[in-house]
Amino acid sequence: MTNSNRRSFLKNSAVASVGALVLPQIIPSTAMGMGGKLAPSNRLVMGAIGTGSQGKSNMRDFLELNKEVQFVAVCDVDTNNLQKAKALADGAYVNNDCRTYGDYREFLEKEKLDAVCIALPDHWHGIIYTAAVEKKLHVYGEKPICRTIRDGQTIVKAVQKNKITWQTGSWQRSRPNFHRGAELAINGRLGKIHHIEVGLPNGNRGIGTPPVQDVPKELNWDMWLGPAPKVAYRGVSHWNWRWILEYSGGQLTDWAGHHIDIANWGAGLEHTGPVEIVGEGVYPREGIYNVPVEYDFNCKYANGIEMRVCNEARLEKGSGTTWYGDKGWIHVNRGETLFASDPKILEEVIGENEIHLIKSDNHWQNFVNCVRSGEKTIAPVEVAYRAISVALLGEIAMQTGQKIQWDPDKEEIIGNPMAARLLDRPYRAPWQLPTI
Amino acid sequence: MKKRYSLLLLLAGFFLLQSCQENRAYRALIVTGQSNHNWQASATILKTILDQTKLFSTDIAQTPKEKGDMSNFHPNFSKYSIVVMDYNGDSWPEATKTAFLEYVKNGGGVVIYHEADNSFPDWKEYNEIIGLGGWNHRSEKDGPYVYYSKNQLVIDTVKGSAGSHGPQHEYLVRARKADHPILKGLPVAWMHGKDELYSTLRGPAKNMEILATAYADTAKRGTGRDEPMLMTITYGKGRIFHTAMGHVGKDATHPATECVGFIVTLQRGAEWAACGNVTQTIPIDFPNVAGSVSRPEYKEVTLTEDLDKIAAYTIDKSTKYLTDLQARIRQVSGNPAALLDLEKQMVSILKETGATVEGKKLILKELAWMGSDYCIPAVQELLKNDELKDAATFTLERMKGPRKI
Repeated sequence: MTNSNRRSFLKNSAVASVGALVLPQIIPSTAMGMGGKLAPSNRLVMGAIGTGSQGKSNMRDFLELNKEVQFVAVCDVDTNNLQKAKALADGAYVNNDCRTYGDYREFLEKEKLDAVCIALPDHWHGIIYTAAVEKKLHVYGEKPICRTIRDGQTIVKAVQKNKITWQTGSWQRSRPNFHRGAELAINGRLGKIHHIEVGLPNGNRGIGTPPVQDVPKELNWDMWLGPAPKVAYRGVSHWNWRWILEYSGGQLTDWAGHHIDIANWGAGLEHTGPVEIVGEGVYPREGIYNVPVEYDFNCKYANGIEMRVCNEARLEKGSGTTWYGDKGWIHVNRGETLFASDPKILEEVIGENEIHLIKSDNHWQNFVNCVRSGEKTIAPVEVAYRAISVALLGEIAMQTGQKIQWDPDKEEIIGNPMAARLLDRPYRAPWQLPTI
Repeated sequence: MKKRYSLLLLLAGFFLLQSCQENRAYRALIVTGQSNHNWQASATILKTILDQTKLFSTDIAQTPKEKGDMSNFHPNFSKYSIVVMDYNGDSWPEATKTAFLEYVKNGGGVVIYHEADNSFPDWKEYNEIIGLGGWNHRSEKDGPYVYYSKNQLVIDTVKGSAGSHGPQHEYLVRARKADHPILKGLPVAWMHGKDELYSTLRGPAKNMEILATAYADTAKRGTGRDEPMLMTITYGKGRIFHTAMGHVGKDATHPATECVGFIVTLQRGAEWAACGNVTQTIPIDFPNVAGSVSRPEYKEVTLTEDLDKIAAYTIDKSTKYLTDLQARIRQVSGNPAALLDLEKQMVSILKETGATVEGKKLILKELAWMGSDYCIPAVQELLKNDELKDAATFTLERMKGPRKI
């Protein structure tokens, strides 16, 4: 089906399904005897877990898809965010039907959904992604998909076992410049690629040590912390969890799912990992923000490629991904930018028998299409896991100050049991990562 | 708490005694006595900083006061490995100038400190030694402006006076020659303590390398350029290290020279000027882009102090001592014996009844990844403590290695 055909087809189907609004309960398409595949005439019944800024942003992106999806329930530990998300959904369907939950367990138990859109702090990803996948829901999940390598391996295993459709929020893949850059690189237009530079944003300089304060009445702080250690509330929760190691690895792990992911895509490293990682992190000396403010590490791959990942101030080309090969380089970044050592490289045509990377012009639409067709999305869980693994291994190399040897097939650190402990992070009781 | 360190203190005392007896490798001479700054304070500060390295034994040569009789000012430069210029004042006798130049030409080291690059505007050779200078009627006749702009070195011969600065403030110092022995191993950028930001310096800039610059923000009445802060120059066989930082005025405190970035680059620059090499290790409290670090009283933070502070930690206090400990762990993490030594001291905090719950939690978090069998009994003991049960469980769980999936 061509793009324009598909568009008009969906438009018609959206009109045809307006009647669904009058039903007291939206019935998930998967429950309608379609053998797990959705008929295009049915809206995808969706819920959202995590409705902070990124969660609501994803909801908006889904709601813009010609009403192909219907959000029937939202879940958050912050009642303010929850009400805003409900208003977003209800506003789109002009009703008051979207149900709200403060506990994802109740949400997953009671709601009958096709798919769920999840945007949570990283320390919650392992448990909630796995729980949703085990419910056989299709998942649009935010990057990075995990806080530790073990969480990531568990999620991948769960997705494969339950055969659901997974899309990672690595939306750069659905932008033409990133796609084009990666496709030129992987088809040898730079000759043999020998190294890659990945520049990610510089760190946050911190807020010092704010005093302990009362938890806002809208926030369930204990549930927000979940599997992370119990600590007093200091005014840092939404958004700024990014700067505290218990919840995130900082800009490094936030952006791994973008520029490292793109680097892997163009270099054919999507399904493997580095064999040696060494580097240095610069950590703030004071304050509650403790993620590295600068970072710089180098990864060697078994095929000889080296990848340097660092904060953008350390690179001449700054932020973005640059592949270097025998015949030149290509640099790609946000803002639709695409540069090459020789502009002629960018005019190259990819032949019929060459590698054609999956093409998507809308990341959320790609998810919906793949849920319907059963095809792989443009950002499946396995490649998301490999992208964040690079950052997490870099984090371990920086924390330990040691050169890390990694077996990308067995997915284990070699000969360093101390560093290997950092592949996992125990959860606070009673939280547990399910065994798949 | 005292028991933990009794042996350590004894050992420290022994080494201290030893180091006082040992011959220090280099002699340093600080030349001071006149300047538009507080030289009475700065000369002592510079001596403290240099002597702390245990590499230098430092003398101070003091000139007569302004317009005093200079004829008897003849330091014996040749006895020294480095001469530290903390001087901005009257001309020296010709014989003294000649002796100084001979000393440098023959391989003597020089450190040019802050306002010393204002001195001797009319002494051609001195200006070659400092590379760049400011004030005292310097202008295009003395050489070009030299600075960085958009990461490019600029040598600018446009007319204009030399030397300026806005109000004192903290600023970021950025390495330009990160592989130079003086900077090797330091962060590529660090926040410097409140100081003047010398700008629009000009001079012959012969045989000069700019090691680090600072952006002179126009919001602070700066030039909008990256101005040279640390430089090396060679003159004959002599090596010169020039720091434009370190303002010491009449105020009671001196944040510019208490800054660890200033102290350490001066110590390393002095060693390089003396021998062309740097053997000093990077201290764990070296600042980075996250913020400046000050050493009141010029004392390097010790492991004992770090551990004491962690043992007394409550959540309203600074975590910088934990950051120090983490850096110390990183420094020795490849050396099992040294790591075990550190672990033993950390475990002693777990056993201390006087140590805080929050302090013990900090220790438990580190032991979780770097602890050995040694720490396990002490950690298990904390399972009985309601306030520490969760943190101790975390440690023991993590020490078992990653969960199987």
